[in-house]
Amino acid sequence: MYRLLISLLILTLTVVSCKQKITPDEVKHEKPSIFPDYTDVTVPATIAPLNFKMKDEFSKMDVVIEGSANKTIHLQGKKQIEISTKKWTDILEENRGKKIQITVSAKQKNKWIRYAPFSIFVSNDPIDHGLVYRLIAPGYEVYSKMGIYQRKLSNYKQDAIIENTLLSGSCVNCHSFRLTDPDDMSLHIRGKKGGTIIASGDDMKLLNTKTPKTISNFVYPFWHPSGNFITYSVNKTKQVFHESKAKRVEVIDAASDIIVYDVNNNETLFNAKLMQDSTFETFPSFSPNGRTLYFCAAEAKEMPAKYNEVRYNLCSITFDPESATFGDKIDTLFHASAIDKSVTFPRPSPDGKYIMFTLIDYGNFSIWHKEADLYLIDVKTGEVKVMDAANSDDTESYHSWSSNSRWFVFSSRRLNGLYTRPFIAHIDENGTVGKPFLLPQKNTDYYEQLLFSYNIPEFINKKVDLDLRTVEHLANTSGTNVTQRE
Amino acid sequence: MKKFDLSKIISLDTFLSLIFGAVVFVFFAFLYPFHLNYQEQYQLFLYTSDYFLDFFGKPGGIANYLGTFVTQFYFYSKIGALIIAFILTFLQRVIYSASQKLEAKSFWIPITFVPSLLYWNLFCDENYLAGGMIAMLLLAASINGYIRINSTKWRIVSALFLIPVLYWGIGGAFLFFTLFTIANELIKNEIDKKQVLVFSAAITVLSLILPLIAKAIFLQYPMGKFWVGVNYFRYPVNVPLSVGIVALLIFFIPLLLYFFSKKISIPKTHYILFVQLVIIGVGGFSFIRNSADFSKEEVMAYDFHTRMRKWDRIIALADKSNPTSPLSVTCLNLALAKQDLLSNQMFSYYQNGTAGLIPDFIRDFTIPMMAGEVYYHLGLVNTAQRFAFEAMEALPDYQKSARTIKRLAETNIINGDYEVAKKYLNILKKTLYYRSWAKHTLEQIKDESLISEHIEWGWLRKVRIDKDFLFSEAEKENMLGLLFTHNPENQMAFDYLMAICLLNKDLQHFVNFYPLSKSLDYKVIPKTYQEALIYIWELTNNDPTKKISYPVSDEATKRLHNYKRIYSTTRDAKSLNKDFGDTYWYYLHFNK
Repeated sequence: MYRLLISLLILTLTVVSCKQKITPDEVKHEKPSIFPDYTDVTVPATIAPLNFKMKDEFSKMDVVIEGSANKTIHLQGKKQIEISTKKWTDILEENRGKKIQITVSAKQKNKWIRYAPFSIFVSNDPIDHGLVYRLIAPGYEVYSKMGIYQRKLSNYKQDAIIENTLLSGSCVNCHSFRLTDPDDMSLHIRGKKGGTIIASGDDMKLLNTKTPKTISNFVYPFWHPSGNFITYSVNKTKQVFHESKAKRVEVIDAASDIIVYDVNNNETLFNAKLMQDSTFETFPSFSPNGRTLYFCAAEAKEMPAKYNEVRYNLCSITFDPESATFGDKIDTLFHASAIDKSVTFPRPSPDGKYIMFTLIDYGNFSIWHKEADLYLIDVKTGEVKVMDAANSDDTESYHSWSSNSRWFVFSSRRLNGLYTRPFIAHIDENGTVGKPFLLPQKNTDYYEQLLFSYNIPEFINKKVDLDLRTVEHLANTSGTNVTQRE
Repeated sequence: MKKFDLSKIISLDTFLSLIFGAVVFVFFAFLYPFHLNYQEQYQLFLYTSDYFLDFFGKPGGIANYLGTFVTQFYFYSKIGALIIAFILTFLQRVIYSASQKLEAKSFWIPITFVPSLLYWNLFCDENYLAGGMIAMLLLAASINGYIRINSTKWRIVSALFLIPVLYWGIGGAFLFFTLFTIANELIKNEIDKKQVLVFSAAITVLSLILPLIAKAIFLQYPMGKFWVGVNYFRYPVNVPLSVGIVALLIFFIPLLLYFFSKKISIPKTHYILFVQLVIIGVGGFSFIRNSADFSKEEVMAYDFHTRMRKWDRIIALADKSNPTSPLSVTCLNLALAKQDLLSNQMFSYYQNGTAGLIPDFIRDFTIPMMAGEVYYHLGLVNTAQRFAFEAMEALPDYQKSARTIKRLAETNIINGDYEVAKKYLNILKKTLYYRSWAKHTLEQIKDESLISEHIEWGWLRKVRIDKDFLFSEAEKENMLGLLFTHNPENQMAFDYLMAICLLNKDLQHFVNFYPLSKSLDYKVIPKTYQEALIYIWELTNNDPTKKISYPVSDEATKRLHNYKRIYSTTRDAKSLNKDFGDTYWYYLHFNK
């Protein structure tokens, strides 16, 4: 009797836990319209499960995920398809370099509809440990709670690196790492207790970065691959506001220059060619060998009156890290102004082959430009190509490379035109781009409920471990004044 | 005939509590209701697990969560008043009950009203939040519950259990519970002095260590936050000492009444009761009267009616008492414009320059909200959206605002940004009072024609500008001019353009812009414009045979001549105010 009861219990549990096989009332030849759109995307094998749901109303979903080894995952869900991390990881690992096929059936208006299967390509190329980004409301001049966060890519865990609640009334921005390595980090804290935090190894300092020779505190950073220097722009930035419905905000520079900060000697290095009154210089970055400084430069105009006439070209100047000196001439790598366009955020790939940048109609603050798209320039040939596979009808703006140059993350407003979300795309050695995928979340409603934008997504090769007690302590000191090299 | 004996129906203490509750209700429901509406708009209580967890994850978060839960009901001020009355009365009852448990004599009951009175006083300030009141109630309830445990062993165990729980629930106010448990054991004398010492030392260490542990786990706040926890005040930088006094009294009053009852023998208790009642009654009345800021209540009333688009109520309010604060005047001018009365009646009310027409932007959560209303109804939709967003982001307690989210949904709908609008509507769907509007609007936006034909959104779509320009606070006239020339049906834009010139006493621009009114095809030129036109004409025309080219009434001309006669002789504001206080000339000459 006892055994019979146990058997019955096991049988009942088995029946209950088995997903019912669906017999579709209708078979459609098109692929399902799902959110997020993971159809035919390319993903790394270590990405967190890509949970999704139907875009249109449904009462139940049935999903079969099949790999090449005939292993399948069968799932059903009433609100979304939630994939177990273990099963997902297994199927991705087994299908590295291949694709997995996903068949979706959805119960819609009391009918089971089976859609045409779609694929997810599992790349052989590994991806970094995680992402760091700032979460901030896409507002104007005033800010509320915000912070810089890290997110592991193999699961959904997000941790705060620093939130502005730590130092009341402050703003945290412009986090930057040396080649995805969080051991070397720069970030700004704006506000009463503000300054620039430079964390290098176990050493951390808070810098007062305004010098008599610079027009502002340090702004947009980029680390030298050696870790000995960071290049920053200094900008006199202002916001102006549009009244037509197509545009909202314009962030403009009334003046801007570029400097290089010597981390070890706490000195600011200047070069007259990067500080010309007749030119706006901004968004600097170092080449992976550390011998070229890329930046955007535009002919200076009266601001804000001629805000829509400012067009930045992609330029470069050589840099000698041994002597910390600059070359004599500025090269223009992409003359965007000649085609009435403007370049922002030049980011060289770590393998040195490409520079990715954003192209807009004018100005430099591309996140508020719907026409903003990603482009790639081949450093050797100078050939420029639009990254169609990554772009959308809406804004694609900030972007950064993975440490192996095979992935890039970029911010896009394609989901609703306002709230910026991080998308990751694969890029092969020939510059061919795969279809990007939205950073997966456990709950597919996550982005819909989130009132923050993702700002400056950057790859990291390991967890960021910022000592907040030291940050708090430093913020209560007067900080260290940066010096000028004469 | 039998004498009526109230005490057989209701005990004196219950009667007093009910009276107190009723007075609190009347105060908030009828004298101070707009403070409650004001509070409600600056938060967004969501029925989601994420919203709860966001609060729950921090010490004091439960009180904050319950505070925001309660505040959502302030949408209807009478419900809000009822809740506040209930909580404050309940707080008094809990303190009274604790005192009774400590065998305090019941004639000391008036003293138990003091903490509730003090919190009522704090609540007269719109920046004190309901979470603090909930924290006080939970503190008092914990003290009350604790002393009801008769077993010493279980009392000590419960203290050790309650201290961390209470810390998580009400933040730093838990320290008063710790103090109470020590005092209570000393009074009870059920365990020997050595045991009391060990118990006291143990719970003191536990209490002091808890905030340190919390700080070690939750690094993203300064240490002060872990000692305070609850958002008593909208501005988190302030440590509200006044709340500390209330908490101290919650701890102290039961012990004090115990002491009075044990140590002091009073023969004529009804005299003592009477004296206390008089002190609490009279003192409480003058205390609350001094704390209540009815000028702010007036501004909030104007703002609330603006939010609800109750233009006639705003004008009725102004007719009752002429508003003087810039923000009230802003709302009044908007109401007049919405009722097509601005050009005729604006100087019938007090005007304080352009600050009372369209206030300039400041980084604040109140002024941009009101200024944004003006821009919204004018048709400067992007600016309305920006001001609303900025107001929400300026909230110092990092809350989101239901009113703002609604306005963001509206402005995005007008701009045709439906995906963003949907996001806001889906968030509002998770609230109590905005749910049905959000659901209805989500259905509406599926049909473009419903939006274009919507009485408000359709109109604002029609009047909003297609050709881009950059907003400039210093060039409001130009923006209004562009708005009106874009759509000459937008009378409100014209009225505001004229009003800016008139309020700035900029007659040159008034004359330059006035011909734009041709498209409005006035049958009779509005009173204020007539006054300005005649005045300018008489100022500039040297030829008495010439007649003004605008059809101004003889009455207006006659009135100006009378005004000029008195003005040229006396220049006395008071005597002119009686007959000419409603004219533009009076504003021109006497408004500073």
